[in-house]
Amino acid sequence: MVVITLQRNKCIGCNYCVELAPNQFQMSKKDGKSVLLHAKDKKGFFTAKSNDDIIFDACDKASKACPVNIISVKNI
Amino acid sequence: MQQIELMAPAGNFESLQAALDNGADSVYFGVEQLNMRARASINFTLDDLPEISKRCKAKHVRTYLTLNTIIYDHDLSIVKTLVKKAKEADITAVIAMDQAVIACARELGLEVHISTQINITNIETVKFYAMFADTMVLSRELSLRQVKKITEAIEKEQIKGPSGKLVEIEVFGHGALCMAVSGKCYMSLHSQNSSANRGACKQNCRKKYTVIDQETGFEMELDNEYIMSPKDLCTIDILDQVAESGIKVLKIEGRGRAPEYVARVIKCYRNAIDSLENNTYDKEKVVSWMQELEKVYNRGFWNGYYLGQKLGEWSNGSGSHATQKKVYIGKGVHFYTKAKIGEFKIDAYDVSIGDTILVTGPTTGAKEMEVNEMLVNDEKLLTGSKGDTITIPLEFRIRPSDKLYKIVENKVEV
Repeated sequence: MVVITLQRNKCIGCNYCVELAPNQFQMSKKDGKSVLLHAKDKKGFFTAKSNDDIIFDACDKASKACPVNIISVKNI
Repeated sequence: MQQIELMAPAGNFESLQAALDNGADSVYFGVEQLNMRARASINFTLDDLPEISKRCKAKHVRTYLTLNTIIYDHDLSIVKTLVKKAKEADITAVIAMDQAVIACARELGLEVHISTQINITNIETVKFYAMFADTMVLSRELSLRQVKKITEAIEKEQIKGPSGKLVEIEVFGHGALCMAVSGKCYMSLHSQNSSANRGACKQNCRKKYTVIDQETGFEMELDNEYIMSPKDLCTIDILDQVAESGIKVLKIEGRGRAPEYVARVIKCYRNAIDSLENNTYDKEKVVSWMQELEKVYNRGFWNGYYLGQKLGEWSNGSGSHATQKKVYIGKGVHFYTKAKIGEFKIDAYDVSIGDTILVTGPTTGAKEMEVNEMLVNDEKLLTGSKGDTITIPLEFRIRPSDKLYKIVENKVEV
């Protein structure tokens, strides 16, 4: 299972996560920050889980590209 | 000579207060996103705007919101929100680079200042942006001679901004200069995927580099490995010439700097501008100001491109050349208003009579003074140590949120 976490309040809206993992991330037009799709919010930490291992690579790239290091991806 | 507006950086409430206490005429700041210090952990939030506006208005200080990154489609809504909130909080102007921001601010009736990232280097461009903005920062690579030509043309051709007043020209007066073309840079983006143009500069130009011929492996002998790290800009020694170029606003860099940096730099430039005004600006004063400026963060100083400087003014270290540094001692406990005595709890190191202390806090700003009298746990002692409670007569009020530091000599490794 892939677990993706986004610490949304620190997002600077650079858009890289959307470019690298467009199926998991979208930019919010409301506040210009990244949205992790189908995620649950726990005190500003948005977490999404998926059984689809294919998404790991894209999210891992997004995590590495994030200039403010607010995306973490685990394959458990 | 007309008085120059001194514009101070404010990264948080400590720095804002330090700017206000030391004579800034205006302050600039960012709120979370879409400013050149978006990465910094010490940014204001949107909810802070009314408090910033209130504090500055009380001192008749103008307020400028920086909204000067590149703007993507998904940012347009937040741009509108930021400008709207700035207008509601009665912020004086927004500093903009992107035409979308300029348009939005104009639509909502907020004054616009053109950021250095637009790279204005000639009078025709000034004329063009005069349709939208009252103040413009010129490109950093212009010499004072070129600046003067532009300000003279504004006067001669009566180039006016939307307010109906002549366009005002702003230049950088002090602080970090980098390799980038007037604030636009792709270096962080290329090497670390972190765009400076979105406020996420990783400052990798500040590191050591070597130059190697890939064909032969020959390594060029470099006297200084910091080949991409320019020294900091300082104009206090040429401020008379800067003023004569006809500029109206002098901007001090440093939204990421500590409050005591803002306090000291603003104080020096305030004195310098006032000295120009009353014709007491002289070499002796310049020497003492330079000594003061060297005490806080700097990479060594140069005059930038203002005098047509030859290249090669590189810093020779990764960090600061400051001659002083602060050491954390403890925190504020209580202030006895009538007696004007501050109580502090010492958490680390010690503090003695004769030491220079620094107190910083969101409302206190950055206040420095020498300890002449002190009680340690209610006894008259010369030194207080870790765990002790000390009381000191103070010229200013302190709060429980304040931090106490000691100012010590900084041994610079060059």
